[in-house]
Amino acid sequence: MLKLLKCILITACLFFVFDRAIGLALKTLYKTSNATDEYKISYSCETTRDSILMMGSSRCLHHYVPSIFEKELGMTCYNAGDWGIKNIYFHYGLLCNILERYTPRVIVLEIHPSEWLALPFSGTERAGSLAPYCGMSKGCDEMLKLTGKYWAYRLSVVYRYTGGLPSLMAGKLGTMDRNLKGWKPLEGVMDTVGVKAEEYPFPLDEQRIALLQRFIDTCKERHIQLVVCVSPMYVCTEEDAFRFPRELAQKCQIPFLDHYRDSSFINRSELFYDFGHMNRNGAEKYSRMIAKELKAVIH
Amino acid sequence: MVVNSLPFLWFFIAVLVIYYLCQQRREIQNGFLLVCSYWFYTQIDWRMAGLLAILTIIFWLLGYAVEKSIALKKERAASLYTNISVTIGIGALFYFKYLNFFAESFVAATSLFGIHLSWAAVQILVPVGLSFFSFKLMSYVLDIYHGKIVHERNLFDFANFIAFFPTILSGPIDRPKPFLKQLKQSRLFKSDSLMEGFRRVLWGMFMKMCIADRLDIYISAILGNYSHHSAISIVFAALLYPLQMYADFGGYSEMAIGIGQMLGFKVAENFRRPFLSINIADYWRRWHMSLTSWLTDYVFMPCNIRFREWGVNGTILAIMINMIFVGLWHGANWTFFVFGLYHGLLFIPLMLSGQFFKKSKVKTNQNGWPTSRFVMQMIGTYLLVTIGQFIFRANSMSEVWGMVGQVFSNWQGNIFLDFATMANAGICIAALIYVDIQEEWFPNYKLRMPRWSEPWRWELTVALEILAIVLFGVFDSNQFIYFQF
Repeated sequence: MLKLLKCILITACLFFVFDRAIGLALKTLYKTSNATDEYKISYSCETTRDSILMMGSSRCLHHYVPSIFEKELGMTCYNAGDWGIKNIYFHYGLLCNILERYTPRVIVLEIHPSEWLALPFSGTERAGSLAPYCGMSKGCDEMLKLTGKYWAYRLSVVYRYTGGLPSLMAGKLGTMDRNLKGWKPLEGVMDTVGVKAEEYPFPLDEQRIALLQRFIDTCKERHIQLVVCVSPMYVCTEEDAFRFPRELAQKCQIPFLDHYRDSSFINRSELFYDFGHMNRNGAEKYSRMIAKELKAVIH
Repeated sequence: MVVNSLPFLWFFIAVLVIYYLCQQRREIQNGFLLVCSYWFYTQIDWRMAGLLAILTIIFWLLGYAVEKSIALKKERAASLYTNISVTIGIGALFYFKYLNFFAESFVAATSLFGIHLSWAAVQILVPVGLSFFSFKLMSYVLDIYHGKIVHERNLFDFANFIAFFPTILSGPIDRPKPFLKQLKQSRLFKSDSLMEGFRRVLWGMFMKMCIADRLDIYISAILGNYSHHSAISIVFAALLYPLQMYADFGGYSEMAIGIGQMLGFKVAENFRRPFLSINIADYWRRWHMSLTSWLTDYVFMPCNIRFREWGVNGTILAIMINMIFVGLWHGANWTFFVFGLYHGLLFIPLMLSGQFFKKSKVKTNQNGWPTSRFVMQMIGTYLLVTIGQFIFRANSMSEVWGMVGQVFSNWQGNIFLDFATMANAGICIAALIYVDIQEEWFPNYKLRMPRWSEPWRWELTVALEILAIVLFGVFDSNQFIYFQF
């Protein structure tokens, strides 16, 4: 019995030491990676001190060109959007991590109609992408708790990077160009065959709505000017997909720049890479337009 | 509650502590084990625990009746009771798993002759692990009838054999003689046994979580949506599928054997490096060994004896029947029937060339590695197995034809490769191949470690294995493929 207990104790100690050592190595790889997820999250959490931050999912990542905003607004800008159907659980955790270091002047939050719905996919697990920054802020930890894996992230540093070793090893070969300040342009023109508008037959998710309210409140507390934006789609549904966030923005007196059905973009395939994402030309055209609008609303 | 989950870990730690606290009283230890096994089963499927208990009692009584009849030299009565037990066992399988399949097939067959019958499919809840525990039940009575074992006087020990929680869901299918014998022996706490068992559990978890579940992400994405993928992607996914199956079922078996070992039991082995087989007969001697040995003893051998006057043709017929049983054992679907038939057909060249009865022995060169001829044979066997598994995985024969059609019509497309998934799986598959090759051809080889670490070999290995699972594992998938069977 004593032998077994001794073995368990030594194994636990060895695991702890290996876990911390390998975890440290993985963290180093993570920070220096040029792969989209790793670079965007690590740069946002640890490096950026820009005045304007763009936050959102893939449509933010591909649609907002920081250099255009910097030129138009005379402020530094970073696109912190990240792909992978990121949602408010992720955005809120990321915001809390960023606020641990500094307070940006303006945050542009790009939203998608399905973000406020109880989808069968893209739920709390999206906050799991912030696992490498477990412990950085209370808000981030709170989001990680919602994934149900918080205790495991605390127990093992390596677990925060589970399944990520090959991507981290190849991280230097990643496609993110750091000079573009977080923007990832899409090249090419969409194939319009069979494209139809997305439908959203899901109920509203109260938890996500409460979290958006907290996102707004946190920005207000820190005197950050929040602007909610919706970039264009190639095709759109007829339903009023943004009724809730628009009403909330109005209630909280937040500018709401809705270009979801913008006629200068809609059905113009030469500006799109696929039905939901604009290509380089589309992104530049949209950024020029929205930068002017931002200039009018930022004080 | 699956064996690679946290609730199971807490359950098992509690079981282990109490189990060894009552090690001085074997009856109490066995009783506690039985309670745990039934509790575990109710956690999976509480509605069917009653059926399990009823079938256990019926077969125990039948075992008693067979033994009593033999003792009284009432051969016909013994034979009758044995036949009743086989009928109940097969009947339970037939009712719960095959009723709709056979009825629908019968209706379809009669319609070919212009007779239009109808069958409204009956919604039947299939008891989890039925295919496994029904075989254990039948083998018990059959072994008594053939004089291999005596009737187990203690109903609770017999119930322990049937419901043993590490194996009830997906095997291995233990035989009554060695298992019941172990229940009569005291099982005292042994650190070495616990540590060795734990290593097997970890290795099983590695196979399941790092290989099977990782490959499943890729394979399901391709074969689950084959109409959207190119031929080369489908072929590549199909080539990976046997590895996924091996890692999934082999991983579960390793965990079950390891858990059994931690409780002081030697559970039947189920896999012996199947992809190092040099022909299909060799493969079936290494793949799901507890099922194939069961079917060899209770299906193939009786058939072979019955057909012996037909010579080679009789053996071929016995093999075909046996392999179709293997296929249909997995479930009520024509894909399983074709899978069995296909494997049966693969045996014919071996029978005709006389290879079937020869023990497959691989020639190695002076360094201990197999010669290139045998390596080619192994690759050939893997490819043949892949075709079978391709049929096995499909939901229906029309899906098989759909995938085959896609393979032959869409060669232009590129291969779909998900870098992270493939790289993670690739690293772990390399580890699996390394271990299999080492166990097969270099069993005495021991990985050299620094001298200072030698006294800590177990601790170091376990810590690194856990770390590997944490680093490469998939933690969101909990289902084992063989649970459905």
